[in-house]
Amino acid sequence: MAPQAVPDAPGGNVPPAIRASGLVKTFGTLRAVDDVTFELAPGRIYGLLGPNGSGKTTLIRLLAGLTLPTAGWAEVLGTRMPSRQNLERIGYMTQADGVYTALTVAENLRFFGAVFGVDGDEPAAAALAVVDLADRRDSIVGTLSGGQRRRLSLACALIHRPPVLFLDEPTVGVDPLLRVEFWAHFRTLADAGTTIVVSSHVMDEADRCDELLFVRSGRLTARGTGREIRARAGTTDLEQAFLRLGGDVAVTR
Amino acid sequence: MSRRRVAAIFRRVAAEIRRDRPSLALLFIAPILITGLVTFILRDSQAPQVTAVVVNTAGVRGQLVGTALGAALQHGGVTVSDVADEAAARAAIANSGATIGIVIGTDGAPVSPLTITVITNGLDPAGEAAQVATVQRAVLSAAGNASGTALPAILHTTLYGTPSDDPISTFAPAIVGFFAYFFVYILTGVSFLRERTGGTLERLMATPVTRGEVVLGYTLGFGLFATIQVAVLILWALGSLHVPALGPLPAFSVGLGVAVNGSPLLAFLVVVLLAVGAVSLGIFLSTFARTELQVIQFIPIVLAPQFLLSGVLFPVSTLPSILQPLVAIMPLNYAVDGLRQVFIRGADLGVAALQLDLIVLAVVAAFFATIAALTIRRDVV
Repeated sequence: MAPQAVPDAPGGNVPPAIRASGLVKTFGTLRAVDDVTFELAPGRIYGLLGPNGSGKTTLIRLLAGLTLPTAGWAEVLGTRMPSRQNLERIGYMTQADGVYTALTVAENLRFFGAVFGVDGDEPAAAALAVVDLADRRDSIVGTLSGGQRRRLSLACALIHRPPVLFLDEPTVGVDPLLRVEFWAHFRTLADAGTTIVVSSHVMDEADRCDELLFVRSGRLTARGTGREIRARAGTTDLEQAFLRLGGDVAVTR
Repeated sequence: MSRRRVAAIFRRVAAEIRRDRPSLALLFIAPILITGLVTFILRDSQAPQVTAVVVNTAGVRGQLVGTALGAALQHGGVTVSDVADEAAARAAIANSGATIGIVIGTDGAPVSPLTITVITNGLDPAGEAAQVATVQRAVLSAAGNASGTALPAILHTTLYGTPSDDPISTFAPAIVGFFAYFFVYILTGVSFLRERTGGTLERLMATPVTRGEVVLGYTLGFGLFATIQVAVLILWALGSLHVPALGPLPAFSVGLGVAVNGSPLLAFLVVVLLAVGAVSLGIFLSTFARTELQVIQFIPIVLAPQFLLSGVLFPVSTLPSILQPLVAIMPLNYAVDGLRQVFIRGADLGVAALQLDLIVLAVVAAFFATIAALTIRRDVV
């Protein structure tokens, strides 16, 4: 599944796929996202790491334009968010499965395909093949296991072949074997130009990302490749590195 | 507004309801059961069994009245017996199956007019009121016989329908409207709450779908089933299919056989407008609910006042004046009135009262659709 084409910037100077500038989101007195600024290059996998409640989901929702920032702005593929039009170029796998349990696997895919303007059986079949659910296409989602629903959820985020993918804890409840396949597929998508932001609190997935962004209490505390971060923290253990660079509370596994 | 996205939501909602067998049963079987039961009660209730004991404490004058009254009561199917005094009459009501005591007396002075005191046991006010009415009719009849000149009869005629109409013909329109409202609200409210809590709304908001498309898609999806429900209910209310006796089975008829003077299609239009409002109301109120139980808990606040203030049970005109402003804003009130205009009056689109009902229902539906759409993209923490 090749993503929709993203126009290259003239002169070979590739513009960032995602930009955030001074992003702030407060809920009452809580600063869920606190002055986050970054630029993410296209075709790479970014791991958003942080403990539960550190603001990862809110940051993704700000980037996808699902909630309005208190201050600052976010841009995806050169378009300021929120932008309904731009959502056609974004895939979002929510933390909850977000699939219709009374419908079949195929009906869920057809529905999300239709709202994205994708027709025909081919995109659904391709998305199902990725998550290895083709044999369950006519099963009612309510009868699937938790891991199978997670796979369907991913397939629904891929159905329109978006050039930007936000995946909020995509591998929760997915067995280790399939987790390996998920990551292999993320890599295939990134190689074809898709920009992927994966949130996770599982450190052993972090090394599969091209670059890591550590989030604590809504702030971006560190950024770099796994190797860079280990070197900076003076440790070979990412978890230790996170604790040294990011904060003082143990990262949940 | 994209037609294909609205169509996608419509198809999805319809597919979900179609798979939900218990809800489908709720939608179609429950209203038929309840309207059938109500009709049976209203039409075939038994005449009260009245057993009267009569006491005369007014001498010869009372004797004459007692005899005439006793004859009139017996003529009306009442079992009558005489007892010695009021205490015996009270004992008879308390212990031995008499339902009513009639004491013929005077207020003391020798030429004062006679009084008739009716004693009942007071446990069943509504039933006893019917018995007191039986005595009043007997008194009138006895007075007529005693004076030798027939009393003038009061005849009642109405502009629309007939006064002796089956009580169900005014009740059926109300109950059709109420059920459409009730079930559509419950199903939409719960279904949209699932959309909010199950994460599918969040996902839907991450697509190019607009809020208006969501409300319209839902309205079409639930509107389809509300339409089928209303069609079935109206057929059930108006129809009367006689099934002849077959072997050991007695003859019976299916349907309530309510007479309708107007176009069933107009009645249908009234209820569909009401139901469209109910879809949006369900979406709107699901904002304030965290669980499905809480959607149900809105019933006493949202539906019970409509039931009480829309002429389903109590005539709107006799409600306390302080409640009249509330009556004026109850959508169900306009639907019930509209349905009665069509069923009983035989109103067509040229009748101003029906026009008002239709306009109000359309405005209410549009209003709730707007606020429902506004609540959809609410920040969920």
